[in-house]
Amino acid sequence: MVEKKIVVRSQDTNQHRVLDRATRQRRLTRQLEALEKDNFQDDPHASLPQLAKRLPQFDESHESGKKRKKTRGDHFKQRFRKNFQALLEEENLSVSEGPNYLSACAESSKLPQRHFCAVCGFPSNYTCVSCGARYCCVRCLGTHHETRCLKWTV
Amino acid sequence: MTTLVLDNGAYTAKIGYSHEKVSVIPNCQFRSKTSRLKTFTASQLDEIKDPSGLFYILPFQKGYLVNWDVQRKVWDHLFGKEMFKVDFADTSIVITEPYFNFTSIQESMNEILNFKRSSGSLSAHRYFQENSSELCCIVVDSGFSFTHIVPYCRGKKMKDGICRLNVGGKLLTNHFKEIISYRQLHVMDETYVLNQVKEDVCYVSQDFYKDMEIAQLKGEDNTVMRDYVLPDFSAIKKGFCKPPEEMNFTGKYKSGEQILRLSNERFAVPEMLFHPSDIGIQEMGIPEALVNSVHNLPEEMQPHFFKNIVLTGGNTLFPGFRDRVYKEVRSLTPTDFDVSVVQPNNPICYSWEGGKLLSENPDFDEMVVTREDYEENGHFICEEKFDI
Ligand SMILES: Nc1ncnc2c1ncn2[C@@H]1O[C@H](COP(=O)(O)OP(=O)(O)OP(=O)(O)O)[C@@H](O)[C@H]1O
Ligand SMILES: [Mg+2]
Ligand SMILES: [Zn+2]
Ligand SMILES: [Zn+2]
Repeated sequence: MVEKKIVVRSQDTNQHRVLDRATRQRRLTRQLEALEKDNFQDDPHASLPQLAKRLPQFDESHESGKKRKKTRGDHFKQRFRKNFQALLEEENLSVSEGPNYLSACAESSKLPQRHFCAVCGFPSNYTCVSCGARYCCVRCLGTHHETRCLKWTV
Repeated sequence: MTTLVLDNGAYTAKIGYSHEKVSVIPNCQFRSKTSRLKTFTASQLDEIKDPSGLFYILPFQKGYLVNWDVQRKVWDHLFGKEMFKVDFADTSIVITEPYFNFTSIQESMNEILNFKRSSGSLSAHRYFQENSSELCCIVVDSGFSFTHIVPYCRGKKMKDGICRLNVGGKLLTNHFKEIISYRQLHVMDETYVLNQVKEDVCYVSQDFYKDMEIAQLKGEDNTVMRDYVLPDFSAIKKGFCKPPEEMNFTGKYKSGEQILRLSNERFAVPEMLFHPSDIGIQEMGIPEALVNSVHNLPEEMQPHFFKNIVLTGGNTLFPGFRDRVYKEVRSLTPTDFDVSVVQPNNPICYSWEGGKLLSENPDFDEMVVTREDYEENGHFICEEKFDI
């Protein structure tokens, strides 16, 4: 099934488009994933094509054929090139017993959800009808419509 | 035989021989747009004159070692002639690893290192040495990748009480960059600079909604607001806050300095540690999670944990952190329980100090896994000896 990015419920004007729950959730997930990123810019070495071959790239698995002194544990290098997600799946925790990485995660809070304006960060009492973002005043709502709201693709 | 203690954090390595001082060194590599031919490793960061736009290459992902190539380069640098000149035949290496470390990472580490513990267990060791009459303690380790809350009883960790919040200093800095970039100046590429701004100006609020009100006031009544002068790495090597008497409430300054105006960001960013749900991470904050964790432990032990709460890791250095934890834990526990929250002098190196003390322990030699042990018995021996 092909998922549509934005679901259009009512089409008279742009202002009346409403994002459905799944889309809102995807947006939040992408926002939270972005908070795990190491860098937002490109690798400064990536734009040097003729050098890229000679310089060790951090994703590259091996350096040139030069012989290095063999030290303790040298051979593990090749074995482990897995990212976090792959390692997690390999552990197969859903079927394991006792406390583990997944079960140790903090539960959700019993305290009520608090709301802050997506523009200025101050406490907010209103929700944008189109995308569910919070805002505190007409001015911030205006900024929100102009800058993010339906335009935003994180 | 000498011992080298290494708390191998995702952000910094805390490293030193057990008879010497500790050094805190970046556990990563860097690339700079001004020296486009070189990759800098760990302490070589000091060679970069202009770290704006600094590009990070980190060995860890979500707190777990995944990029071995980078880790090897950092370790080669740390252990090699540039720094600690380790003679492996005559040195035991004490290293930390995260809770619930993945099997394959553990096995790789066993091959090269003699002694592993979680940094929390080293902190607990440190705490029990100094407070020998206490039976229990609960360690909060809030570092770069995440925050762990781990109860220890007589030196043993209580696995059922371990709780992890997926909030650490990396998330705080990235969130900070995101809101500043949206509200005033594009700084998404300036992790290095903004991380420094975060450490310089952010604090943990003792009365969150009150501070929100103050941050909305105009002029001098707004005691939260700060103007931060960003470094340009030529005339201004390090950023700083304008002293209050020089602050100009219009925000306009004659000099060409680049200013960041900070108000609710100062306390809303560290607030993620207390209310992760504010940005949509549906997890308890530190005090609530701590109290919840203690409630999962045997009832007769519970009072002992509340009176031995130890704060470690870089985020606990935010001004107000300790007081806020105390205040909230206090309000969530029965009044006939004592609550005591200890903030060590150096919460970043507290576990390293624990490792140092451990290596001075008379039984230490029996706890390490030597090369011969390992070759004879394989991972099995490590599993037996290392209670992470
Ligand atoms: N004075 C300070 N105020 C606020 N935060 C700080 C301060 N000093 C360091 N930090 C933050 O603490 C974090 C690093 O903490 P720490 O050294 O405990 O982590 P780590 O051990 O390297 O990582 P981990 O434990 O996740 O593997 C960084 O995000 C850094 O910005
Ligand atoms: Mg740490
Ligand atoms: Zn607003
Ligand atoms: Zn909207």
